[in-house]
Amino acid sequence: MGFWLELAASGLITGGIYAVVAMGLNLQYGLMRIMNISHGEFLMVGAYLTWWAQTILQVNPLVFLPVVALMLFVLGLLVYRLCFRPIARTAANAEVVEARSLLVAFGLMFIVQNLAYLVWGADLRGYTFLSDSVEIGGARFGANRLLVFGFALAASLALLAALKFTLFGKAVRAMMQSPTGAQLVGIDTAVLHPAVFGAGIALAGVAGALLSMVYEISPSMGEPYTVTALIVITLGGLGSAGGCLAGGLLLGLVEAFGMHFTSPSLKMLLSYGVFILVLLARPRGLFAR
Amino acid sequence: MSAALSIRGLSAGYGPIAVLQGIDIEAAAGRLTVIVGPNGAGKTTLLKAVSGLIPREGEVLLDGARLSGSPASIVRRGLGHVPEGRQLFAQMSVLETLQLGAWLLPRGERSARLDEVLAAFPKLAERRNQLAGTMSGGEQQMLAVGRALMNRPRMMMLDEPSLGLAPKMIEELLKIVLRIRDSGTTVLLVEQNVAKALAIAEFAYVVERGRVVLGGSAKEVLASEEVRTAYLGTV
Repeated sequence: MGFWLELAASGLITGGIYAVVAMGLNLQYGLMRIMNISHGEFLMVGAYLTWWAQTILQVNPLVFLPVVALMLFVLGLLVYRLCFRPIARTAANAEVVEARSLLVAFGLMFIVQNLAYLVWGADLRGYTFLSDSVEIGGARFGANRLLVFGFALAASLALLAALKFTLFGKAVRAMMQSPTGAQLVGIDTAVLHPAVFGAGIALAGVAGALLSMVYEISPSMGEPYTVTALIVITLGGLGSAGGCLAGGLLLGLVEAFGMHFTSPSLKMLLSYGVFILVLLARPRGLFAR
Repeated sequence: MSAALSIRGLSAGYGPIAVLQGIDIEAAAGRLTVIVGPNGAGKTTLLKAVSGLIPREGEVLLDGARLSGSPASIVRRGLGHVPEGRQLFAQMSVLETLQLGAWLLPRGERSARLDEVLAAFPKLAERRNQLAGTMSGGEQQMLAVGRALMNRPRMMMLDEPSLGLAPKMIEELLKIVLRIRDSGTTVLLVEQNVAKALAIAEFAYVVERGRVVLGGSAKEVLASEEVRTAYLGTV
């Protein structure tokens, strides 16, 4: 029993991180059709900034979490201004935004990743944080892993609640559902677009900071998370934050159990298998009505 | 409360395609002005250009003050626009949609305005928790009008509100349009139901191929032989 609980918990912990990363990308892609495939690179930047703060300044990574969110938010504003605002302004329609942003983000991915190699080197980095194990219901979990899951879940639920209950969150959803309708109630896209893009990048940074508490980090760590985020968005449905949370947790569980019954080397195959199955059976997402 | 809209020398289009060429239209304060014309004449483009949804050349003045900039800044100045196709938020409830309509109102005024609009549209009040995308065409149109009214516009533009609706619903919607005018709001109505629109309007313009070809009081326009032949099928 304890073993299965540990396996399920391991899947949910990974899934929680997937949900946060995917929610960030969903804000960018769902709202503005910006196909930011460099999203995972900002997760990596968040991880390195937290590692720096922990090793150089001896700052507790949990205390640093809001700081990394703010730093990545500002970085997101800058990236939007330099890379994606010109596209959003000149593109004739959403399809053109999608195609052009994909190419720009592809370049951005290499730039950010190589800058990381330049600044932090190629070695794996890491630090020890709350590595003691805790026993719950006969199963043993690393305290840091439980903490990461708690924070990932809290971040996801906070975003969900903000989108559902605040007028600003409703404005973001309105922009996703009808950009013209949103403009005609007076929502200023020139303010909302960069803010939401920045929030998406901030979520990636938070996910990176959480990951650094559990795993070793490297400049190439972000890329697989971008792919996973795209799979989770497909599972949960474009523009749906709740779908991202459920999709992320589900994919985490599928990977954990799938790898147990097959082989850990088949992790990506399992993810892509789920991706293709969902695209074939429910192309609008598992939870679309 | 009401405001006069002046459109002078307005040209607009989509990229290299010029749709409107030097349009001049006046909408008198507190009155209902209707724009009629065949499909593809540029009526929808005209309203989009006025509310800043597409780039334009020429001048648009609301009570003598220039309307320019983003749609948000134009809406802030008191212009309401019920667009073609309604542009509702399909996955949002009636209540959420109306709350968003009050986006630009001061926080303290939002709740009172919501009560006023719900009182004016009992059908919306009944269905306050229903998702906009699941409502009938007429109810959606009412919601689109209610959403625009939430911001207390001084000037309201409606783009073919009767399109695709049953005759009874059209009557109801035109009554709503008259109520908006009677409350002191200037109304500019684009309508394909020419006879009905000219019967309730004070002023009218006929737009064909991106130009105004006729304008004046609704009675004059209704009496014109061209309009009777081309739009009403009578001489």
